Amino acid sequence: MTVDSEPQLSDPSDGGPHSTPLLELRKVSKHFGGVRALHEVDLTVHPGEVVALVGDNGAGKSTLVKLVSGVERPDTGEIRVRGQHARLDSPRAAAEAGIRTIFQDLSLCDNLDAVQNLFLGQERHGPVWSGRRVRRHVMEEQARRVLESLSVKLRSLNTPVVALSGGQRQGIAICRALISDPAVVILDEPTAALGVSQRGEVLDLIGRLREQGRGVVVISHDMRDVRQIADRVVVLRLGTRVAEYRRGGYTPSELVSAMTGAHEPSDD
Amino acid sequence: MLVVLAIIWAVFYSQSPAYLSFQNLTNLTLQIVTTAILALGVVFVLLVGEIDLSSAVLSGVCAAVAAGLTVNSGLPLPVGIAAAVAAGMAVMFVQAQAVMFGVPSLIVTLGGMVILQGLILVVLPPEFTISVAGTPFATIASAAIPAGTSYALAAVATLAFVAYRLFQYRERLSTGSLASLTTIIVPSALVAAVLFGGVFTLTRQRGLPMPVLIVAVMLLIAWYVTTQTRYGIHLYAVGGDREAAQRAGIPVRRMVLYSFLVLGACAAVAGMVDASRQLGVSVTSGSGPLMLNAIAAAVVGGTSLFGGRGSIWSALLGALVIGSISNGVQLLGLSTEVQYFATGSVLIIAVAVDVVLTRGALLPGRR
Repeated sequence: MTVDSEPQLSDPSDGGPHSTPLLELRKVSKHFGGVRALHEVDLTVHPGEVVALVGDNGAGKSTLVKLVSGVERPDTGEIRVRGQHARLDSPRAAAEAGIRTIFQDLSLCDNLDAVQNLFLGQERHGPVWSGRRVRRHVMEEQARRVLESLSVKLRSLNTPVVALSGGQRQGIAICRALISDPAVVILDEPTAALGVSQRGEVLDLIGRLREQGRGVVVISHDMRDVRQIADRVVVLRLGTRVAEYRRGGYTPSELVSAMTGAHEPSDD
Repeated sequence: MLVVLAIIWAVFYSQSPAYLSFQNLTNLTLQIVTTAILALGVVFVLLVGEIDLSSAVLSGVCAAVAAGLTVNSGLPLPVGIAAAVAAGMAVMFVQAQAVMFGVPSLIVTLGGMVILQGLILVVLPPEFTISVAGTPFATIASAAIPAGTSYALAAVATLAFVAYRLFQYRERLSTGSLASLTTIIVPSALVAAVLFGGVFTLTRQRGLPMPVLIVAVMLLIAWYVTTQTRYGIHLYAVGGDREAAQRAGIPVRRMVLYSFLVLGACAAVAGMVDASRQLGVSVTSGSGPLMLNAIAAAVVGGTSLFGGRGSIWSALLGALVIGSISNGVQLLGLSTEVQYFATGSVLIIAVAVDVVLTRGALLPGRR
């Protein structure tokens, strides 16, 4: 069952609502041994757009994230960033191309404080003769600005992040991605394992990323999240893109049946 | 843990006023020097979430290398010291390779400890002992800095501390961060009190003993490196969450290697200072309770066995706590078992506190 609610998506080079897409996947395929994880998948992300990627387990969502974040390479197909062909051979290469991924486990070091986590691996430091002394004041100032830009409120920048709430931790993980000012931010299950109010906080964060004109890809299981934040929903099933909807152009049951491939609502 | 130390001191002082005499405090300081230096290295390894059992025996091997080269072969002292440090780092390099290959560090260093016990027999001459009495090697421990120079050093160190704090204060002001002058005055007063108090106490007899200066300089360097530099942040990150550190682009394996190399160098210095104090190296150098005391010192001082938490000062503080107990027990003429009971109890309590702080409860499922 294929539900192409928008004619535009069969033609990814068509430009979309805005100018050049920030991120564009063209007929990307990936096999693991004999298993077809992704088959000729197209995906475009425009500036200031939130694209939700949904699908059942094994639909290829994580594979797609791995390709775009530089963890895995596609077998065939092309990835373009800002209209330019991009080789995302490593996480570093992806970061340099302007794509930052926030994994589900957030990858925060619990024993470090917010500033240290925000700059982990990209610390601002002094010359070698000083032993690469960390320029804490510069980092704190930048941290305060980034946290403010997403309205993440912390009581202190010096508390280990283990003491923070789930929403605050998610906020720090997202802000960490923003330190290098990426064009595209990918969030893997950002609201999983969060309470109701924290979930709202994180959805607000995603909204602010959109306001900043970044392209956002959200992988989610949660249909409420998807309906609330996504400008576009891309449905994957068994490694192929089976449907794409615009905001308001679908019902929850349509989405579920696209994900599961069920024709009758009872076949869940 | 400072409270524990104060309690221990108060108890022993109430039993024997000689406990807090200048002479005994100097003795106590010299007794803990070896443990403190070794514990300092152990802290680096614990911080990245590994453990080491071999460094105490390694310290004996390194001391044998240094003493053999300087006393038996007549090479200059600096050459012997450099060779010992290089040997310590080389042994740790090999062990770290095995750890990075995936063998648990507990096993690697347990095996390494046994191998090193054999190696010390190879390094020592056939009579299995080197006496360093009367040689330049013995001056490592016996040298003393005159009181006047010591006070000057304390003054310079205090001024340097104040200057560094002022520098940080101005840095923070320049970016409009919160900065308060209390963060300069209070710590500076504390540092001055500790430095001048320490110099005053320790120069009562013959001037400041050289080993004390060695420990002080090593602690200072270690403090700067672990708290002020990028290396320090990465060290704690690797200990906190290896996966996250790896994803952030931190060379996790290299950080683990560095920690073992630091421990190797510390072990060499500890071994040489100890040999110089004991006036010789023998088969038993580095054996006995030294290894467990060093680990216990780090843990009692607040460094977590699970990695990522703790500080350099835990080496000094823990060595002081453990040293204070054994010194007091000996001073009071109590039997050795009392010393073991007390040291063991303090260790268990300290680790229990560590577990509670890490997990929130001693047993899972209570919260």
